[in-house]
Amino acid sequence: MLFMSEGAQLEKEFLDQVKSHQNIIHKICFIYSKNRSDKEDLYQEIVLQLWKSYPTFGKRSAFSTWMYRVALNTAISTTKKFWFSTGTELPDIAFEDESKMDLSEDIRVLYRAISKLAKTEKAVILLWLESRSYEEIAETTGISVKNVSVKLVRIKARLSEIIRKMQ
Amino acid sequence: MKMNDIDLEKYKSAWKEEKSFNKETLTDSEIKNYLLKRSKGLTDSFKAGLILDNILKIILGASFVVLIFLFPGKFDILVLCVIAILLLFYLLWLNITTYRKIPRQEEYSGDMQNFLKSRIEFYRTKYLKTVYVIALSNPFVFLGGMLYYFYFKYGMIRPLQVEDIIVFSIFCIAGFALGAFIQVRQFNYQVNQLEECLKELQENGIDELAIRRHKKQKRTIMIIFMIALLTGLLLLGVLFTL
Repeated sequence: MLFMSEGAQLEKEFLDQVKSHQNIIHKICFIYSKNRSDKEDLYQEIVLQLWKSYPTFGKRSAFSTWMYRVALNTAISTTKKFWFSTGTELPDIAFEDESKMDLSEDIRVLYRAISKLAKTEKAVILLWLESRSYEEIAETTGISVKNVSVKLVRIKARLSEIIRKMQ
Repeated sequence: MKMNDIDLEKYKSAWKEEKSFNKETLTDSEIKNYLLKRSKGLTDSFKAGLILDNILKIILGASFVVLIFLFPGKFDILVLCVIAILLLFYLLWLNITTYRKIPRQEEYSGDMQNFLKSRIEFYRTKYLKTVYVIALSNPFVFLGGMLYYFYFKYGMIRPLQVEDIIVFSIFCIAGFALGAFIQVRQFNYQVNQLEECLKELQENGIDELAIRRHKKQKRTIMIIFMIALLTGLLLLGVLFTL
């Protein structure tokens, strides 16, 4: 440990941080993926971008706040589709492996409803589900606190409507 | 509305209590493995594409230098090869300057709105120009290949008829257009997705003026490259028919 190089120490510190916050990555991948393969690809992409951006983590904010920003920016800018692909972005039963996952019924319903939202709406609702404050949501998305509250009202109303139709 | 809120609070509690999110845990070595893999993101694919194209342009430049020695005393070939080498190095320089302007990693740590704006700006300007610069390698591959074919088959440049020049020109344009078409379609698809995200996020909607400016810029870049390509072909035709 005494002879650990600076690079190795940085890597160790990064691995410890990621391991202790990896449920955040799991949740983001769960929301933004349609199947296990998508989820694994997105997980890898997020971990890679976190690692590449790690030197810019100034410790001014909590690691989790910084992690949400990098991971969500990666999730919204990652697309596997090509211009010649056709069809709808999200199938009715979006997560093909959801039956294999040990999920509660409420989470299954919530997941299917969220899968019908737009990419940035998913980000806002995810942060709300994570009990992040309006200020933190505003800081992550770059919109004003007032607009966060307006958007949340709209997104929640839409989500409720989707859930109601599903029941 | 009140009813909606109550419903969602129930789901929010379920979300907080969901155990499966904490069940999947990765070990140090599994995370380290992820770090060794190549990013599939657009920026990294773009960087890899630029590097590959730079290598191709250097090889092409070297092959035109060799052609000068293969056809000693042939003034038209010398002029053609020197122009090709100069153009290739200019395109190489354009690629290098674009590479330096690729958005830096810090952007990922910024807020979503700024991240999207900076990505869109980059793709609409530098990325689009590079798509045409990369596609311009195709006519050079064809031109170099044609000269090598003549050398090994006939040991000289066969006199060309006007029809030959037209056919070769069509091949050059097709090589450029096909390469550019596929890339531009994919580029439009990706940028539209980013713009869609920004539009959802922005309070007053996306800046229509910026979109119009970008569209005009896109047309201008395409016209400049087409003029450059046609001028090159015209020059080639004049050289071979002299």
